[in-house]
Amino acid sequence: MTDRKQMLKEISEISFTVNDLTLYLDTHPLDTNAMAAFSEAAGKRKSLMQAYANQFEPLTVDCVCPDTNNESDMNTNYPGTKHFTWVDGPLPWEGGIS
Amino acid sequence: MWTYEKRLQFPVNITQTCPKTASLIITQFGGPDGELAASMRYLAQRYSMPCREVGGLLTDIGTEELAHLEIICTMVYQLTKSLTAEQAKTAGFDAYYVDHTTALWPTAAAGAPFTAYEFQSKGDALTDLTEDLAAEQKARTTYDNLIRIIDNPEVREPLKFLREREVVHFQRFGEAIEKIKSTLNAKNFYYYNAEFDKQFVKK
Repeated sequence: MTDRKQMLKEISEISFTVNDLTLYLDTHPLDTNAMAAFSEAAGKRKSLMQAYANQFEPLTVDCVCPDTNNESDMNTNYPGTKHFTWVDGPLPWEGGIS
Repeated sequence: MWTYEKRLQFPVNITQTCPKTASLIITQFGGPDGELAASMRYLAQRYSMPCREVGGLLTDIGTEELAHLEIICTMVYQLTKSLTAEQAKTAGFDAYYVDHTTALWPTAAAGAPFTAYEFQSKGDALTDLTEDLAAEQKARTTYDNLIRIIDNPEVREPLKFLREREVVHFQRFGEAIEKIKSTLNAKNFYYYNAEFDKQFVKK
């Protein structure tokens, strides 16, 4: 199983690329190199987001899929029960001192 | 319309309680050059922006500032979530603790509460974008000041990331000003207000 922390780090990195390219393209909408980089990063982000949702929990409501999400019983209050997986997993501000 | 993504833009994992540090960095939540003021400034200014692409940029940067607000609030929360009664007496946090316990409330480091005066929306594209350039620099200076006096790397790393973003936003707003100028009278950029005297604006 891919480590949750590692996968989240990859999502953060690729999402940052998408975000920074978005701001750049807002003021340079004709830059074809930047557009190609955007397409590549956006595609990678989309597949990573879905992979994370399938293995852990959805990070956006668009990734919620009650039939396939959260096949592992980790990070849920409802192990082994079909449930709305948007409630699973840690909130972003958790972490640090436990 | 907005959608929420359940993660931080930059990871925050602070393992040492420090109410003193919390009382300083909270200024980037509710202070005069904080992230709350930044997001509300850009998201308020965008409606009357005469150029669609600049309105889009204000939306995207305003949205990113909301993610920065979340990073700052997370840092304050983690620095104080295991606070003991004895630690609550720390100078700089004791007064805050009395009023808000360890909840998040927007205030400047020196104690002034957040007010709408902390974000500007003047209704003139050149004026507002110049304000935005200054806002990014003021936020960058605030991060410089915080990084200079805070030693804990768990606090410094997110602050360094946020500082860098101010520099990038400054660059993008500079480009937005040039974009606006290209729609104005090249002989006199102040001949009319592009947000009000719409009949003059070049499409």
